[in-house]
Amino acid sequence: MVYLRQIESRIDQGIGRRRLGYIVLGLIILFFLWFPNDTSQSNYAKTVFISGFFYAIMSSSWALLAGIAGQFSFGHMAFMGIGAYVAGLIARDGIMFATLGIAITPESFSAIGSIIIGTLVAGLVGLVIGWLLLRLRAAYLALFTIAFSELFRIMMLTEYDYTGGSNGLSLRPLLQIADVDTARQVEYYLMFALLIVCLLVMHWVANSPIGLFLRAMREDEDAASALGVNVVRYKILIFVFTSMIVGLAGAIFYSDVGSERIIPEQLEVLQMSLIIAYAVIGGMESLIGAAAGAFISRYMLEAMREVVISLPFGLTTADGGDAFVWETGAWRFALFGVVMVFTLRYMRNGLLYPFITWFSGRDLAMKETVSKRDGDGDDIVEPMGADDE
Amino acid sequence: MKRRAIFICLIALLAVLPMGIAQADGHCEFADYTITIGGLAPLSAPGAVAGGVAMDWAFNQAADDINADCGVAIDGVNYMLDVVTGDSEGSPERGQAVTERLIQEDGVDAMVGVYHSAVGLATMGMLEANQIPTVFSEPWNDNVSANGILEYDGQPPRFEDGIDHVFRISPASSMVGSVVVDWLLSLGVDDVVMIVENTDYGQPAAADEAARFEAAGATVSKIDVELGTEDFVPILSRIQARAEAPDVIRILVTGETSFNLTQQMSELGIAPSEDTICVTNQFAFQSDQYWATVPDGNYCAFNRVGIIPSLFSDAAVELNAKYEEAWGDIIPSFAMASYDAVHILKDSMERAGSYSDAAAIVGAIEAVDIELSQGRYYFDYGSHNPDLPEGTPAFMWHQWPDPIVTVMQYYETGQSGLEAAVVYPEVYQTHGTGYIVPGTSP
Repeated sequence: MVYLRQIESRIDQGIGRRRLGYIVLGLIILFFLWFPNDTSQSNYAKTVFISGFFYAIMSSSWALLAGIAGQFSFGHMAFMGIGAYVAGLIARDGIMFATLGIAITPESFSAIGSIIIGTLVAGLVGLVIGWLLLRLRAAYLALFTIAFSELFRIMMLTEYDYTGGSNGLSLRPLLQIADVDTARQVEYYLMFALLIVCLLVMHWVANSPIGLFLRAMREDEDAASALGVNVVRYKILIFVFTSMIVGLAGAIFYSDVGSERIIPEQLEVLQMSLIIAYAVIGGMESLIGAAAGAFISRYMLEAMREVVISLPFGLTTADGGDAFVWETGAWRFALFGVVMVFTLRYMRNGLLYPFITWFSGRDLAMKETVSKRDGDGDDIVEPMGADDE
Repeated sequence: MKRRAIFICLIALLAVLPMGIAQADGHCEFADYTITIGGLAPLSAPGAVAGGVAMDWAFNQAADDINADCGVAIDGVNYMLDVVTGDSEGSPERGQAVTERLIQEDGVDAMVGVYHSAVGLATMGMLEANQIPTVFSEPWNDNVSANGILEYDGQPPRFEDGIDHVFRISPASSMVGSVVVDWLLSLGVDDVVMIVENTDYGQPAAADEAARFEAAGATVSKIDVELGTEDFVPILSRIQARAEAPDVIRILVTGETSFNLTQQMSELGIAPSEDTICVTNQFAFQSDQYWATVPDGNYCAFNRVGIIPSLFSDAAVELNAKYEEAWGDIIPSFAMASYDAVHILKDSMERAGSYSDAAAIVGAIEAVDIELSQGRYYFDYGSHNPDLPEGTPAFMWHQWPDPIVTVMQYYETGQSGLEAAVVYPEVYQTHGTGYIVPGTSP
């Protein structure tokens, strides 16, 4: 009976914390909704946030693919690029089915139309790649996706007649707003809304029976298959799903919402490794953690471009300044690397994991499980109603 | 104890003295306001960091020299000049974000930069919208100065009235392409082998040059290589196995890879030789690096963008000396151009009588006529002369018409790039010859 009360108390605590978590989440969302209306903030700050939202989508979708489904792919940036490049090329050149004698002119496509097609093509390529990857696991899967990613990047680089090579490809602008301030505000809300929608959809998938199947596959593919999980279907499904999400994000972001043009260098393995690093720092198995990790990392990398240390007591520098200014350049990536090393060594579930588990009350459930596993006599669950007898 | 106190006071005095001297050294009185110019350069990967660092050095050197000469004098008031460099990372997205920061948070009055064409193209709209007078010193893409008429992707211009605030003093791609081909055709070559890196630099350059050769009746064989390749013997053996040696081997490969290739080609005796001309990459101008890696590369020719050493003015010699002191190598053209870009803005602000009136500064840049390290700067076409005559390419809008592109040739092992002979165009020849045959001296 005592133990049941303990459980009830822990459940109460868990529910209480979860409520608190929802309140905190609500406050964070309110902050992001209010932020662009703060007149003291420059457009530059909004631009940094827009970029943060984009990378949050990239990292959280990779967390779904790798952290939850166990498909450690390096092809994420390539799928993003497919969405953006296809949207840009279709808006510029239209579509021609030469053998059928059918040509659809670029004018037939609005910016939204080209984004939708870019997203669908990213999904289609995801379908093919997902099918090819069926028999590959672990390192082989990673190597395959690196090869695919490089193949796509080199194609975009060398087919410069069509893609613009390293000069990049300019997509049709999604928003045609003349006033710079208003444009930045609308772009901010658009990207934020996209992030929220993507997170909600991914959360729904991760917490549906599909999410359970994906986790089962991650833990032991053969066992999952033996228990009736259609591994082929769900592997392909998650590849297509995440490819479409990043394809959509790329097509929108590079339609002059976050950037005016996409270049092949954006698809380099280095950029992909940053996406992975953001997810690892935030928490690979948590969509919110990965998204927050990406947003905070992007913000910090931007904030650390210039480190200013004000001198106290009226002291001055040799050239008469009142502060030391350090242009960090590439050093900020070195500092970022230190954080990464620390995370991997001491907090493998991500720096934000303790907060997320606390707010969700998951730590209580974990304690419960551990104590049961350890067979602690005090914590043996008594049969329901045993006390009444 | 007393001796100790005196000692401490003495040390403190010695520490303070240089500061006092530094302040007393200033012979100019500056206004409270400091004119800020934003610089945009790649200072971290994936951008070309070495190029960005050289540009950053040039921006700051220009500011130092200007301030040492009492800054920017506007209506009798001297303003200190400061250059704040932002890291574009060679990415359009980061370039746009940093440009916005420079404009909005640092409140720059004008801008200079950029290294990568993609960054230039991506930031032009923002610079125009915010009316920031800008002088670009390195991007080559034709559209950078094409007034928004020629969107590379064939899309309509974002700004119906064109790009009015952006100028360029580096050459447009189309201005660079023809020089090597014209030189080789003038020597009568008709059998060309091109070794080309498989990148967006190598492939389009090769396509452009091959078309020019073929139009003149020459035959062209093209061999593609990957950057980073270290062993070129299989490729070179194929060339060696030909019945007749080619007239020229044109290397369109950059960086260390071009050095490796040139050395192996020279070592095998393929080129430069009596039969075959060696034309290597423009990186060969960095002679210290070239001779360290290509000790057998004497008599190789290379193209050079930017002023040739024999035409160095006193200003250029002085600037080169400062660069050599800082970096131990000859100054690259884009660093010279970056230095000049800051001076053009300074001169234009003074003539405009304002550091903040964008329209007046743009008008002053259009009317610029100033001799700097790379030569005399002026702009033929702009709002002061908006009608480009038929046949004049659109990129001539706000484009400095005189960037020098030449072909140079080494004729002594270990020779400095500054001493190499200019062999083409004829007007710039330094040794009275269009080609130095291997084994001879000009």
